[in-house]
Amino acid sequence: MISRLRALWNNVFRRKQLDRDLNEELEAYVELVSAEKVRAGISPEEARRDARRQAGGIDQIVQNVREVRTGIWLDRLVQDVRYGVRTIAKNPAFSLVAIATLALGIGANTAMFSLLDQVVLRLLPVRHPEQLVIVRETGNHYGNSYGPNTISWPMFEDLRDYNQAFSGMFCRFPTSVTIGYSDHAVQIPAELVSSAYFQTLGVSAVLGRTIGQDDDSVPDGKPVVVLSYSFWRSYFNSDQNIVGRTISLNGNAMTVIGVAQPNFDGVELGSPAKVFVPIMMKTEMTPHSDGLKDRRRRLSWVTAYGRLKTGITTEQAQLSLQPLLHSILEMEVLQPEFTRSATAADGQLFLRNQVELLPGSDNGLREQMRRPLWLLLALTGAVLLLACANLANLLLARAAAREREFAVRLAIGAGRVRIVRQLLVESLLLSAAGTVVGLALAFLADRVLLRIYLPANAAAEFAISPIPDGRVLAFVVGAMLVTSMVFGLVPAVRGSRTEITLSLKDRSGTLSTSGISLKRMLVGVQVSLSLLLLVGAGLFVRTLRNLENLGPGFPTGHLLTFTTTPTLSGYSYAETKSYYDRLSLALKTMPGVASVGLSTMPVLRGFAWQNAILGKDFEGTPIEQQPVLSQVDPDYFETLGIPVLAGRAFTARDVAPADYAIVNETFAREYFPGRNPIGQRFGLVDDMRPVTPNTEVIGVIPDKKYRDLRETPPPQAYFSSLEVSNIRGMTVYVRTQGDPHQFEDALLNRMRQFDPHVPVVDLQTVNEQIGFSLRTERLVASLSAVFGGLATLLAVIGLYGVMAYVVQRRTREIGIRIALGAARSNVIAMVMREVFLLIGTGLAAGFLLALALADLIRSQLYGLNARDPFTFIGAAIVLALAAGSAGFIPALRASTVDPTTALREE
Amino acid sequence: MPAPQSDLLQGTLDLLILKALAPLELHGMGVSRRIAQITDGTFEVKAGSLFPALHRMEQAGWLKSFWGESETNRRAKFYSLTKAGKKQLHTESERWERISLAMATALRTT
Repeated sequence: MISRLRALWNNVFRRKQLDRDLNEELEAYVELVSAEKVRAGISPEEARRDARRQAGGIDQIVQNVREVRTGIWLDRLVQDVRYGVRTIAKNPAFSLVAIATLALGIGANTAMFSLLDQVVLRLLPVRHPEQLVIVRETGNHYGNSYGPNTISWPMFEDLRDYNQAFSGMFCRFPTSVTIGYSDHAVQIPAELVSSAYFQTLGVSAVLGRTIGQDDDSVPDGKPVVVLSYSFWRSYFNSDQNIVGRTISLNGNAMTVIGVAQPNFDGVELGSPAKVFVPIMMKTEMTPHSDGLKDRRRRLSWVTAYGRLKTGITTEQAQLSLQPLLHSILEMEVLQPEFTRSATAADGQLFLRNQVELLPGSDNGLREQMRRPLWLLLALTGAVLLLACANLANLLLARAAAREREFAVRLAIGAGRVRIVRQLLVESLLLSAAGTVVGLALAFLADRVLLRIYLPANAAAEFAISPIPDGRVLAFVVGAMLVTSMVFGLVPAVRGSRTEITLSLKDRSGTLSTSGISLKRMLVGVQVSLSLLLLVGAGLFVRTLRNLENLGPGFPTGHLLTFTTTPTLSGYSYAETKSYYDRLSLALKTMPGVASVGLSTMPVLRGFAWQNAILGKDFEGTPIEQQPVLSQVDPDYFETLGIPVLAGRAFTARDVAPADYAIVNETFAREYFPGRNPIGQRFGLVDDMRPVTPNTEVIGVIPDKKYRDLRETPPPQAYFSSLEVSNIRGMTVYVRTQGDPHQFEDALLNRMRQFDPHVPVVDLQTVNEQIGFSLRTERLVASLSAVFGGLATLLAVIGLYGVMAYVVQRRTREIGIRIALGAARSNVIAMVMREVFLLIGTGLAAGFLLALALADLIRSQLYGLNARDPFTFIGAAIVLALAAGSAGFIPALRASTVDPTTALREE
Repeated sequence: MPAPQSDLLQGTLDLLILKALAPLELHGMGVSRRIAQITDGTFEVKAGSLFPALHRMEQAGWLKSFWGESETNRRAKFYSLTKAGKKQLHTESERWERISLAMATALRTT
């Protein structure tokens, strides 16, 4: 064993020495044999010649001895690599094209995979993240809800205390809090957590301690806070003495008890929490909204997480939780809160709600990005496949050009396996070079993508990095190996089948006709793949156009918006009311401001305040058709440029106890069909008390978008913000006379002057806001357009290459045709017939493929069918024109063949 | 590591080389001549088979080599048996004797 290893060592690292020794040994042998012959009486020269002849060719012996050395495979590999590098360096143009093609293909895939990995695939940085599940209830909740994955606080307590499936359970509520400094205040994301949060996650503190049982047992009991590591570093300069200090959150003094471990930013990727506060401090952290102390079961607001007991699967846990949930629902359905907000039929549906366990690492961003990112990865995969087809074709052409070289190598005794291996090593080398360049490209691409995709202020803090990790590198190496096999194997096997005699003879142009059909097939694949990508690009670009053209239903050109929440700075309701009265006045008197409007609900941010309503002729509303609501000030509609179609707008006199509403046309049509909506009355269903319909409709506005651009305007009702006394914060809309963008700094200054303790959040133009809300669509559209273009380019190059090759091979035949009197146009037609046959086959295959795959992207489209004929035909025409003109060049060249030269050449 | 199963011819050559080197150290031609001598000229090993075999056996650890001086006062590579080589000679000899006995018996049977 040891001697083998030593031999291997010597063979690899002391090859030269070994070869020298071997030569000397053989020289000595020859000399000894000839000396023996001389002794037998033969002349020295003749003896030496004889000895050499008897030795049977020194070179052959050297070869044979090398073959038996240990580790010969390594030796050969080194040889192959050296030879491969030489070959690549000898054809710089070919190699550059190949490496660039691969770099684009592999780079695009790596960039996409890296994003997918970090946004969609990666698990939370906690202990055994795979055991962590989100516990949610399917079906309708009937009541107020903060989102599809939330449950009520009492429901969480019941599940926590009576479940058999989890070793630990906690809940969380993400919110924004205001952290006060001496002269200003900033709004930061916070996570309200139940006592078992850190313990169940297995997240520890680098400084001080985390939140424990004692901190979270009594409401308002312990004003303590744990800082996230990154927040501690950036806002407190890694202050080692931070533990024990107090900070001001929403105007409450909170004691810092610890700093959480690095890289842990809460359980929701995309909205990293900066501070963690016991959920028992809910009243302080979200002033004037509870749910914890009043124990309402019809208000779902916490997200519950459980850690599965060891050995219990998600399915088993789900089954064991279901009876528990059902018994809770049976109790809830009888409560007056439920019967007030739902009908008896609703109750039957409600009892059919199920426990559903989601992976604990799931979150909104993941949900939203999963499909687009997989889609983009599929597109880049298609581009890579196309690049491989292109390279395979290039290599095939080159293998044909290298036939003589292979023939020589075969003739002097190289095995065919050796030649296949040699060619594969060359492919692998190309692939490796492409991968290195591709990785660099991917790094740059990810940085650009992140900047496009994330809001500017979030990009700096976002937990996604463009630096590839182990999994990404594994993906890249895998991609590299697979691609080099895909594009290298066929040409390699074909190359090794070279006929020695034919190749070494001065051959006529009849060779490798079978190679042409393979090349044609590869071009067909390229054409069909690029049709697929072009169709995709067309569909996505048109989706983006459709969405952009939709508009929200009001003019957005000169609108700026921002949000403030004075109650988070310790303001009472009365103070908040006066704050907005003064703010409205202060902004209206700024030069350059046309008007200022206020609303409790921001528009087009995906949020909605929905509530069931009742009236004289209708009682309750099915949950899907509940109207969306908002409270607005008298100038709101004018500022947004929304006309009042009938009745009147709110005025400053519409204060409590007046109870007025302005509704949109859809609302009027749905709830007061065939009647004049002005003067009709309705009321908001409330699960806490019985309601009479007292709210009077005084005006009607046209339909406009509320949540996002994609929606059909839902029924909407607006109330006067002056009528309500419990406003916590509002979104401000400022219509400017000039460019709103230029106005941002002045506005920020004014706001700082006005009240430095109420932070301004989400300041941007409404157009920016709309643009940002379309970022996923824009990402998909722009990237698919780039990939589509790239694919077309590759296919065109591929087609050109094959046709040029075909024409070259048929020069003699064409020469004869021309000599026999064929017109140039006939020759062009002959070649172009073949070109269009190729394109046509590719297009037909691409069409079928695209039609089959169309359903997969349906959910990503807007305003057009996934089999939109216009896009399909347009893509086909573009591709046919591009590829057709590429094919025309060789056709033209064929028509200019000089018959005499062509015939003489052979 | 178990001794690799060699085909008959290679096995024969290996055994002959081991046998030739058992009593003394020899250079390549010496091995060839010694084999001719101990087989009464039946086996004449050509350089093309001899040297690959010598190198293979050296890498297997049966032979060791050193540079010495030949009869013609020239630097030459000499081979000798290692401990493993002696053991290999022993097992190979036994195996060969078994085989040749079996073959002889088989051929005598009519």
